[in-house]
Amino acid sequence: MEQKSIKPPVEVRYADELAALKAADTGKKPENWILSPKAVRTFIIGGKIKTPEGNIDISRKFYGNDALVERCIITLAGSRGLMLVGEPGTAKTMLSELLSAACCGTSTNTVQGTAGTTEDMIKYSWNYALLLSKGPCREALVPSPLLIGMEKGIFARFEEITRTPAEIQDSLISVMSDQILNIPELGDEGLVLARPGFNIIGTANTRDKGVNEMSGALKRRFNFETVEPVKDVRLEKEIIIREAQNLAAAGHIDMPIDTDAAELLAVTYHELREGVTSEGTIVEKPSAVMSTAEAVSVFYQTISHAWYYGDGKTDLKILTENLLGAVCKENKDDLEKLKAYFRTAVKEKSSKVGGTWKEYSETAKLLK
Amino acid sequence: MERILRNSEAPEIIPCDFSSPLLFYPIRHHSPVCSFQLVRTIEEYKPDIVLIEGPENANGLIPVLTDENTTLPAAFYYFYKDTKKLVSDDAKDYKCYYPFVYSSPEYNALVSAKKLNIPAKFIDLPYCEILIATAENNGLRKNSDKHSYADDSYLVQNRFYEKICEKTGLRSFEEFWEKYFETAGIFLTPQQFIKQMHTYCRFTRDDVSQEEMIADGTSARENHMAVRIIEAMQEYRRVLVVTGGFHCIGLYNLVNSGKKIKSPRLHKMPETHHGCFPMAYSYEAADALHGYSSGMSFPYFYDCAMKKLLESNSPEGVYNGITLDFLVRTQKEAVKKDIAVSIADITSAHTLMNGLAALRNAKECGISELFDGVISTFIKGERTVSTSIPLDILSKLATGDKIGAIGDKSHVPPLITDFEKNCKKLNIKYETAVPKNIENALFTSAKGMETSRFLHRMDFLGTGFAKMLKGPDLHKNKDRSRVREEWKYRRTPNVDACLIDHTTDGFTIEEACSSVAARKLMSERRCETAAQISVDCFLMGIPMQQAELAQIEDILINDGDFFSVGRGMHSFEILYSLQNLYGFEDKSSLAHLTRCFDKLVSSLPSMANTPPERGEECITVMKYMYGIVGNILSERLDDFRQALITMSEAPAKEPSVFGAAMGILYSIEPERRDDAENAMKGYLRGSPEIKKQGAEYLKGLFGTARDIVLIDDRFLRMTDELVQSMDYEDFLEILPSLRLSFSCFTPNEIQSTAEIIAGMYNSDGGDITDMPAVDERLFFFGEKLDREIFALMGKEDMLE
Repeated sequence: MEQKSIKPPVEVRYADELAALKAADTGKKPENWILSPKAVRTFIIGGKIKTPEGNIDISRKFYGNDALVERCIITLAGSRGLMLVGEPGTAKTMLSELLSAACCGTSTNTVQGTAGTTEDMIKYSWNYALLLSKGPCREALVPSPLLIGMEKGIFARFEEITRTPAEIQDSLISVMSDQILNIPELGDEGLVLARPGFNIIGTANTRDKGVNEMSGALKRRFNFETVEPVKDVRLEKEIIIREAQNLAAAGHIDMPIDTDAAELLAVTYHELREGVTSEGTIVEKPSAVMSTAEAVSVFYQTISHAWYYGDGKTDLKILTENLLGAVCKENKDDLEKLKAYFRTAVKEKSSKVGGTWKEYSETAKLLK
Repeated sequence: MERILRNSEAPEIIPCDFSSPLLFYPIRHHSPVCSFQLVRTIEEYKPDIVLIEGPENANGLIPVLTDENTTLPAAFYYFYKDTKKLVSDDAKDYKCYYPFVYSSPEYNALVSAKKLNIPAKFIDLPYCEILIATAENNGLRKNSDKHSYADDSYLVQNRFYEKICEKTGLRSFEEFWEKYFETAGIFLTPQQFIKQMHTYCRFTRDDVSQEEMIADGTSARENHMAVRIIEAMQEYRRVLVVTGGFHCIGLYNLVNSGKKIKSPRLHKMPETHHGCFPMAYSYEAADALHGYSSGMSFPYFYDCAMKKLLESNSPEGVYNGITLDFLVRTQKEAVKKDIAVSIADITSAHTLMNGLAALRNAKECGISELFDGVISTFIKGERTVSTSIPLDILSKLATGDKIGAIGDKSHVPPLITDFEKNCKKLNIKYETAVPKNIENALFTSAKGMETSRFLHRMDFLGTGFAKMLKGPDLHKNKDRSRVREEWKYRRTPNVDACLIDHTTDGFTIEEACSSVAARKLMSERRCETAAQISVDCFLMGIPMQQAELAQIEDILINDGDFFSVGRGMHSFEILYSLQNLYGFEDKSSLAHLTRCFDKLVSSLPSMANTPPERGEECITVMKYMYGIVGNILSERLDDFRQALITMSEAPAKEPSVFGAAMGILYSIEPERRDDAENAMKGYLRGSPEIKKQGAEYLKGLFGTARDIVLIDDRFLRMTDELVQSMDYEDFLEILPSLRLSFSCFTPNEIQSTAEIIAGMYNSDGGDITDMPAVDERLFFFGEKLDREIFALMGKEDMLE
């Protein structure tokens, strides 16, 4: 029986596209990659491929800077690791999953960096029952995603690397420099040499800057790519709609997506993030993360509410309440900033554009 | 656009037949590939004449440009003074540049023609005729301060390329151009390249309507160029026409139409109204990114590429080599700025660049890959303004900071020659566009003063060459005690352009400044501004001639504004007192000063009833006058005193001006103290409205004679009485004046005054100063409020 999952890995979600690309791929591939760099690019930024059965459309999965995607792909084909940095919610993780799935066929070989991440989690640990009964042997070894990556010649993803203490981060240095991991307990058999195709994709959140700053030595072993928030409101609206549709489909919510509400949300997030409205009014930026991912979450909550409690239509009051919850969760000043945004920008748009903006403006009284 | 997209077949393009008597060669300005293929085309086609797109009134300057001592970037500077109102009723002056770098196809065409000993000519309408044929806000008449003849906007700002970028996944026109033309085009034969260019340009042309081409002068220009081509074909066997790719199809159709072409009638213009000069130009100004929409971005990078292409036997590896070269230079510059970029980073960047070129199907690495390599490997961490320094370094290197030079000086305008001569003499670096700072000691050597005068002259002419950052400001009478000046200077094409504009003002910078000062004075009617021009001349070390001195005299006589004359007098006083220090003998300033003083003395009594809002200005002038009689014009003290007495006896008086007059009189004759005191008592005994004027009176009095407070406590007691007699609302009303009254005291004087006041209330002051501390939050709120008020005042230009 097919096992259902909330969020299938990229390689499962886009298995058809990956298979089609693989079949049509005639480009040169770095050793152990399942697709050529050109095919990886097509997988991520979309395009058409020719097959004997006709042209197949590959969907665009990452919106924004295509050159950044190209740089990421070429970096991963070289000897340096790839470090994706940027504001929260800028699709760094998604990009690293897409790259892993397209290059290695798996996106789940991941270390999640936290304040509690230890060197064992990065390198290897032991099954203590086996260790006690058989002594240090390969069977008793519990390989980390890094070790798995080295042995199989695939990527290891290291999420939120700067949440991990600096001295733990530095355990990556020797692996990245020499492409060797030594397991002294295994004696002569303990030298693991990385197979071709191994590389590391790290992600780091710029909001965590200074929490556990990466050492210069580790920085030198990575190429850095800064993933910027989406600059185009129309694109942001498209992303919100598309992602909400995907989430709704996964949650069996069968109601039409209100594109006007998606636009309100896209504009609100965009203007609050940039600190200026399309009319040129300066607004104060909230300290909360105003990412597209957050906007998608707010929108999906609103859809869910309409589906389960409402009449299947997006209610702007609920949208505003969800927005309030998303924006005002860390700093009480953010409430005032959001109120001010409604008082100035939303009110101005309400009088100029009318329609849904007027309705949206009327929900301002819920902000308290 | 829709028409282009609907067509399934490419439209007809111009045949590229090297056996034909006429060959059209399409170019993009400053493009190395166009230049490279043009040189090959000339070698293969062997023309008898080369006709080039460019205003034909610069034909006489072609030898200057191709002179072996000329260093590029250089430009032709065209100007036209529309006094005959042929362009518009505004009778404006117009100017534009035609820049050349080593990668310019036009330049390479001229040089190749020179080598082959065949004629080369510009065939476009003269600049003034182009303007006449152009509608307002179009082409060279667009509202912009940057006009370049070599405008590529049709090529780079069309909707056709947007569609191509969309199709090919490229980010911009530059990336598209680099991939499909610049790096790929060098591997084509000249015929293939010409055909490819014609095809692209044909599509861009289809996107422009006939009306647009009439409005921006394109039609008139093409008609004229077509006439010149036909004329050349009658004389020469093989004619090569080098024009912007956009024009080729238009010219081809006109020449082959068989119809008589109607070329615009050329107007007769006096030589002083239009012309063209060769001038040094900078790479920075030649960069298309800086708003001229002409040529390519990063001209120095492409110039290096062009030189390599001409030196190498094969184009293979030229771009790979040049990008690696710039990568290494960027690393070296970054290291100089203490940015940790290692050899390993270069290797990594180089690998990345090659990988990206392969991924993008580009033949070799171009500038896009170079930038991508630096972004990925040289920037460690998040890309921010501070971490992006390597990128800024690369941008600067690729743009270039050099300035060219004109070899044959006989064609260089005399002011530019004088400018360069002065710079050389004073060790001022003028051969670079990089801003430089200079610290100049004014009084320790003759060179310091000479440098200062030269920079002031350049500033006075409005060249934008130099800006004083620190130093004595004699115009505003600020920082007079400074003995050094700090200047920031930078040579840009605008400097040369401005000097060319002043050509008719003289043969040297000094002569030009003198003429400009004289011209300014002739149109001046206010003493204050005339005195400021005198300050300019003083700073520039340029003595005024008899005619200008007479003009100033005339202005002083006729200016009836007390305040303007007062401020003018102050400027003349500054000049008089500084002439020895600045080593500039200026006999006229004393005469002007005396003339101003006499005029002010005679009108002083009538200023008693100055409007309240101008009271402060009146007091300032009175203080200037008191300063002058105490120092320079002591023999006029009695006249001044008499004028003050008359003023103080006037029936209606502005209280602050009255107070100031009483203060000065007290300073001249201390026995008049009682008069000042009685006047104050008068205010105290008056109605509530009169009482309020007491504060204004004190402000004027203390402003001119503050020691009157310090001798004894009588004035303080009167002030106390004034405050006591007020209710809260009235007190708030007079508070600003009272605060201003005490603003002229030094901190020590304020301390002793406070002690006297504390004594009047049987306190030692301790219980006042030891008041409970202000709540911290309130204090911060106050600070924030202050900042916001200042910010708001700054925005509204309310701060000085």
